[in-house]
Amino acid sequence: MSYHYNEGFETDDDEYHHLDTLEIDRSRPSQKFSVLSENPYGSDENYSNVRQRRMDYPEVISMASVQPASARIQHAPEHTALYREPYNGGFSNLGFENENERDFVDKPSFISHSQDRYSDSFSAGGDGNSKGSIRSLSQKQMYHSTLPFNLISTEHDIVMERVNKEEKYALIKKLTAMSNRERNKAIKKLPLVLREKQEIRNTVQLMVKKESKTWATQTGCCADCLKNTTVSFRRFKETLSEIKQALQLWQKTLKVIGGKFGTSILSYFIFLRWLLAFNIFSFIINFSFITIPQFVDLRPNNLSFTGLELLTGSGYFQETVLYYGFYTNSTIRKDDNFAPYNMQLAYIFIIGLYLVICFLILLYSIAKSFRDNFINPVMYSGSATKLLCSWDFNITHEKAVKLAQQHMSTHIKEDLSEKQEKLVLTSCQQTVHFLIHLTVWIVTTGMAVGCCAAVYYLSESRKELLVNATSDIESQRESLLQPAVISLINLIMPFVFSLFELIEKFNSPKHQIYTIIFRNVILKLSIIGVLCQYWFQTIASGTKCWESFIGQDIYRLVVFDFIFCLLGSFVGEFLRRIIGTRCCKTLGKPEFDIARNVLDLIYAQTLAWIGIYFSPLLPLIQIIKLFILFYVKKESLRMNCLPPRKAWRASQMTTVFIFLLFFPSFIGVLVVIGVTVWRRTPSEECGPFQGLNVPFDAISNWIATITGEANLSWVVWIYDNLIKSELFFFLLTLLALIITYLYWQIIQGRKIMIKLLQEQIVNGGKDKMFLLQKLRKLQEMDGFNMSHSSVKQYKASDKMQENAQYSRDTDHHQGAQSGALALAMQARQQASAEEHEQHLEMNSHSALALALKARHQAEVELDDY
Amino acid sequence: MGGTGSQLSKELLSEYQELTFLTKQEILLAYKKFAELLLKEERSRILSVRIPKAKILTLPELKANPFQHRICHVFSTSEYQDDSMSFEDFLDMLSVFSDSATPEIKSHYAFRIFDFDDDGALDSHDLEKLVNCLTGEAEGTKLSESEMDQLIQNILEESDIDKDGTINLSEFQHVISRSPDFVSSFKIVL
Repeated sequence: MSYHYNEGFETDDDEYHHLDTLEIDRSRPSQKFSVLSENPYGSDENYSNVRQRRMDYPEVISMASVQPASARIQHAPEHTALYREPYNGGFSNLGFENENERDFVDKPSFISHSQDRYSDSFSAGGDGNSKGSIRSLSQKQMYHSTLPFNLISTEHDIVMERVNKEEKYALIKKLTAMSNRERNKAIKKLPLVLREKQEIRNTVQLMVKKESKTWATQTGCCADCLKNTTVSFRRFKETLSEIKQALQLWQKTLKVIGGKFGTSILSYFIFLRWLLAFNIFSFIINFSFITIPQFVDLRPNNLSFTGLELLTGSGYFQETVLYYGFYTNSTIRKDDNFAPYNMQLAYIFIIGLYLVICFLILLYSIAKSFRDNFINPVMYSGSATKLLCSWDFNITHEKAVKLAQQHMSTHIKEDLSEKQEKLVLTSCQQTVHFLIHLTVWIVTTGMAVGCCAAVYYLSESRKELLVNATSDIESQRESLLQPAVISLINLIMPFVFSLFELIEKFNSPKHQIYTIIFRNVILKLSIIGVLCQYWFQTIASGTKCWESFIGQDIYRLVVFDFIFCLLGSFVGEFLRRIIGTRCCKTLGKPEFDIARNVLDLIYAQTLAWIGIYFSPLLPLIQIIKLFILFYVKKESLRMNCLPPRKAWRASQMTTVFIFLLFFPSFIGVLVVIGVTVWRRTPSEECGPFQGLNVPFDAISNWIATITGEANLSWVVWIYDNLIKSELFFFLLTLLALIITYLYWQIIQGRKIMIKLLQEQIVNGGKDKMFLLQKLRKLQEMDGFNMSHSSVKQYKASDKMQENAQYSRDTDHHQGAQSGALALAMQARQQASAEEHEQHLEMNSHSALALALKARHQAEVELDDY
Repeated sequence: MGGTGSQLSKELLSEYQELTFLTKQEILLAYKKFAELLLKEERSRILSVRIPKAKILTLPELKANPFQHRICHVFSTSEYQDDSMSFEDFLDMLSVFSDSATPEIKSHYAFRIFDFDDDGALDSHDLEKLVNCLTGEAEGTKLSESEMDQLIQNILEESDIDKDGTINLSEFQHVISRSPDFVSSFKIVL
């Protein structure tokens, strides 16, 4: 019986045999794959078994699987109908397996999953033949195209199934057409279970291999060689990324911080680490290209070391590689074997190079972070966005989770009540608000100006004190006053500014935080501006070796900023916690103020950047400082602080901070160093540029010396035509402006497009709702019959088959006849029933399948008879 | 020692590397952690054994997570629907929650995690459960009924673009694309 069944197939398939003999090869991968997919957890033994069987029916397999697309569609329904048979138990084992085999092969992919689906839907009363099924792919695919209400009937499933299969096939085709790397990436991105991804990949790879085989054998070793290179290159890249990952500092610590305090605070520490990387890089190049050559030509240092120097940076350190003044202007030449080393050029080039690299990195970071966080204009910043994606999966501590939930709850409640009570302010109230804002602005700006004036006069008077100071130690002590005052201002003023929050009432927290940041930035940077003015005006003209002097000033500022940072942690966080938890319980633990802390970091980095010219090893101090700061802040956070209560848009704030680091800070540094290099006369007695008019002359002189040499003419050309020419920069600017304008226009166009598309979506949604309503009405009218007609029919046909087999046992001929007849009738019935259901066109296929099936059965049974 | 049992074979490791967003170290770490959850006698067949849900949830990374049950449910491929996890399920989960996973795949799985009734759309019941997970079920933090209604209405107003009363996957992904913080917060690292 089963044998005949087989034959039936073979004759059926012979029709295709002539069509696609050439493509037989292509079907192989899918065979293998489909077998694999049948037993996702199957043992090897099982696999080889199946494989063995497949070998027995090679023709059936290859031919069935190579049908052209049109034939495929027709074919698909066929085995949806056929498929049920294994569960009826009427056929012999071999027949089942063979049919199964054929089934798999026919559709190159995912049959096993769809089978699960079918078995689920058809044999509701528990099918014994449970496959070792992974969660079915089709279930996942439901997410791509679902009905908005629960119309998940069996019918629907079948349609979905077929659509999915075709989608899969299209996907595999698409993947096959891709290049290797793209394919890997695309497969990685599929939202599927690992096992399924693996299957897809295997299928695709085998298909690709077959396709390229003929070609590959011809090209032979060349392709091999190429492939080996790509593989080794990929390995190399992997190793690199592994090393990079291993080099990432504080990976574990950061994870713990994130787990306890969430992403917002984590962003502070990541910012800190980022700055640290900047400084480490700067230290490495400064040390290796400026300091090490200088060691070769070391002068003896006669000054004594007392310990106070660590704080003041002067005294003993004056005569070390720490400062500009120690470096020589001569060409270093240890012996004749080594090429001469021009210190002037090294100094100016290394610092220039570092600044250019910093500039590019900053620009890139800003652009990237701006693109990620701001380009998509936040049209709504309402509760939805906040809610749907606000949970921080990093948080792992139970207490932290509770706290986060609490914050979330209060936040939502506040939001809702605000929305309800959003009163329109009267004009009188508005005026009052405006006046308050204005007053606070005037007061804060006045305070900032006052601080700047204080710093300026303090510095001026210090100069007189320095001149009058009798001993070296005394002058060192005097020099500590200025940085102490500046750091104190920097520590206290932000607290004062935040006190104004109590008076000012802001409409949105965003507005509030930006205002505070803006005020703090103005204060800190104008203080630095005043200092620069003082350095250039007073120090640069009247002091011996003024670069080193400025270097010392900056050293002291950096050190004091560090000390006051620690002090701030102690007072603002530790003492505040003691007060909050012991004395005044209503205060509670303090919150970690991310904005203030980040601004401190930006301020410190600005100082370090300015100092790099005057004190090339300042990055080392900065590295130590940041390193210690990381641990202090971490501990202080752990012991004293709570995460911020208000939702903190971490990535947007990070963009703002990077921007602040770039715009007032880094650009300001460029201006300061630019002025030093192009406009200030270097000191006469010390430093690499002594004797020159301006430090930049070092380069002009060098260009003048190499102008004659042929092999360096390109350098001269670049210098003459690019660096020195205004036209080049003019063109560059013009180009940038044109590109900007173009992009701006594109953005405008896209905005209009988005608007139109959005309207279209809304209309589409309305259409959908309308159609769904109609559908519902129809369903109500026809009731159960309509929506479940085909299910019934399937069940009915199941019964028919049972009957058929039963009667076959008793009365072969008659039974077979009647069974076939009944099925054919069934099919016709269904076809007519399904004509009504236009929305599910695909189902006509299942009617067709039934008809085909009926024909089969008739043929088989007649033969049998 | 009988510690972690057999090591991952090299082929399997590179296979996993190719199919997931995880790096070699991360896979090895996952392997170690997974083995630690197993009984001694099970460690020899680590790749075929499934860990019951209750045990998976003892991992510190999932222990306190309010979405722990959903995560298990979404990533489990168990045929008995008991949310148990095999090693590959575990890798799938870590891959989605890893640093290098794309926003698309993250939002896809976030959607499935939030889709409590598995019907392919976030309706008001799903949203209610979601909000309850976010605020916790405790007395003080749980939202009142009117607040909840108001909130859900607001959410739907803002993100239900085609106005069908539910948020579907593409609407959800649209919302996610507007919130850059999502990628960094939808992350679980071992």
